[in-house]
Amino acid sequence: MSLPSARSAALPSIRRRLSRLLLALSVAWGLAVSGVVWLAVSHEVDELLDDTLRASADILLGLLLVDSESLLASGRAALPDPSHDERFAWQLVGPGPRVLLRSSMAPAEPWLPQPTLGFADADANAQQRWRVYGARFGGERVLYVAQSRAERREALVEVSLSSVLAALFVGLLTAAWLRARVRRELAPLTALSSVLARYEPLEPGAALEPPQREELVPIHDAIDALGRRLASRLASERAFTAHAAHALRTPLAGIDAQLAVALRECPAELQPRLQRVRSAAGRLSRVVAALLALFRSGVELNRQPVDLAGLLQRLPVEGLVVDVVAPAWIDADPDLLAAALLNLLDNAVRYGAGRVEVTVSGQAVRLHDDGRGVDGPRRQRMQAALDRQVADSADGGAGGLGLGLMLADLVARAHGGRVVLPAAGPGFTVELWLAAPDDNQTC
Amino acid sequence: MRLLLLEDDAILGEGLRDFLRADGHVVDWFTAVRDAAAAHGEPYDALLVDWQLPDGSGLDWLRSLRQRGDNTPVLLLTARDRLSDRIHGLDSGADDYLVKPFEPEELVARIRAVRRRLSGAASPRLRIGDVELDLSARAVSVGGARVELTAREWALLEALALRAGRIVSKADLDRLVLGFHAEVSSNALEVHVSSLRRKLGRELIETVRGLGYRLLPAEPPP
Repeated sequence: MSLPSARSAALPSIRRRLSRLLLALSVAWGLAVSGVVWLAVSHEVDELLDDTLRASADILLGLLLVDSESLLASGRAALPDPSHDERFAWQLVGPGPRVLLRSSMAPAEPWLPQPTLGFADADANAQQRWRVYGARFGGERVLYVAQSRAERREALVEVSLSSVLAALFVGLLTAAWLRARVRRELAPLTALSSVLARYEPLEPGAALEPPQREELVPIHDAIDALGRRLASRLASERAFTAHAAHALRTPLAGIDAQLAVALRECPAELQPRLQRVRSAAGRLSRVVAALLALFRSGVELNRQPVDLAGLLQRLPVEGLVVDVVAPAWIDADPDLLAAALLNLLDNAVRYGAGRVEVTVSGQAVRLHDDGRGVDGPRRQRMQAALDRQVADSADGGAGGLGLGLMLADLVARAHGGRVVLPAAGPGFTVELWLAAPDDNQTC
Repeated sequence: MRLLLLEDDAILGEGLRDFLRADGHVVDWFTAVRDAAAAHGEPYDALLVDWQLPDGSGLDWLRSLRQRGDNTPVLLLTARDRLSDRIHGLDSGADDYLVKPFEPEELVARIRAVRRRLSGAASPRLRIGDVELDLSARAVSVGGARVELTAREWALLEALALRAGRIVSKADLDRLVLGFHAEVSSNALEVHVSSLRRKLGRELIETVRGLGYRLLPAEPPP
């Protein structure tokens, strides 16, 4: 019993389901954490940058107050480019929409059309949007300090992206670790499977190895109990068959011995009658022997190459000529095969056959007799009954399936095959398949 | 032949006993190992032993016989038909193994075969001078002419033929031919010996004074 069979591949796997679940959970966790981080960080970054903006404005205001007139008097509208990247730009506007002085990055037009104090967004120019802070600079003038919104967004994105990536990384790492953990936690289950695969409850002294996890104890105990029940059931059945064999075989031998003596001692006119009784008793003996062999065979099938001609020679059925078409070797349990053949030959005689032809083809034995046979519908009913593995009770006894065919079918099934009743001319034909019949190739 | 039958089933035991007797054998039938063991001081041509008996195992008894060096042929009659049982039975010292139900005719043939092998002959036909014996057909002829024998005469001839060339004591012959009833008429044996000599020729059965009788050694069949 190998574990990774086609059947197990089609079933949902605990490990795969858990792994998938953990992966999904980890990704969702990472995304949720990232979302929260984004919300918190974007708000904080905004506040931080606004604070910086205002602080810059305050410093600039202080500087300008000290020496604005000389700057204005210098006649330069814009300050020269500094050597570094400017983070902030500023304008000194007013009165009215006139830019008195500005940093190099600041536009020539005022950011805001109306003088505005405090924070505002200058979105008039779609190319470059600004976050602006306005501060009064004596009288009608306003000092604007601004930061490009692109720059602010870049800062925000940088912070958020790194936190999202960190969260996802941790999430995936956790998923991988949990996955390995799941595999390790499920290992005792795999171990139990291999223990069970090795477990032979029918062998004397068989015991299951102890389970490795608390959760496996009920399964372990249930299987152990099942094994014990099976073994004790089998032991009692074996004892029963041995007992039944003794109880049935001895009286049958006794009947035959008594009849043999009676046949010698009785008057001549009684002899034919007694002879018939004796042959009936002989048939009974053979059926009993076959049944006993069959009941026992559930345990062990002694498959070996059997020479049908030799086997049939040892199974004489009175009044029947058996022709075996050579070569007639087949792989079978000889006792069971003998039982099945005996019953089939017995049937043939009862249905008026005087000659039976036995052919072997692959894993099937075909018996064709010259008896009365059965008509088509009846044959189909019998085949259906065989396929259902039940005797046709409505048609019962000798008229129905009969013990012989049922027994032959049981023997065939014990070998992994079945009995097939093909439609074939006059007489009766039965095929005893000792392996699964190939429907394209009935013999 | 003188046979010991150990079989606890009344119907089978009685049937076999009567069948074997009708076949001309002296049969002592026991239903318990204890009784059979007590009787086995007697000479027997073969023991027919059931495996399972109410007071023990026939197989155990067989093993103890073999351990004591007793070579009397034993046929196991048993309901046990497993291959392992058959092997076990034969390996325990049985000469043959019959699974019940068997036909008594087959049992008789097997007893004869086992007995014949013990006497060193594979064929059931023996030739001693111009006397020809067919042990399975129970027929005897002298110079080609068939001779009719009584059941006792045949039993005596068979007992000697199965031990051809060897001296058989008078006491043993008594037991083999007449069974427990031997002492009823103590000179019965001499009567049968002389009638056999009259029918088959004087020199066939040799008297070894003080020891018993001996049949001339058999020659290979023609």
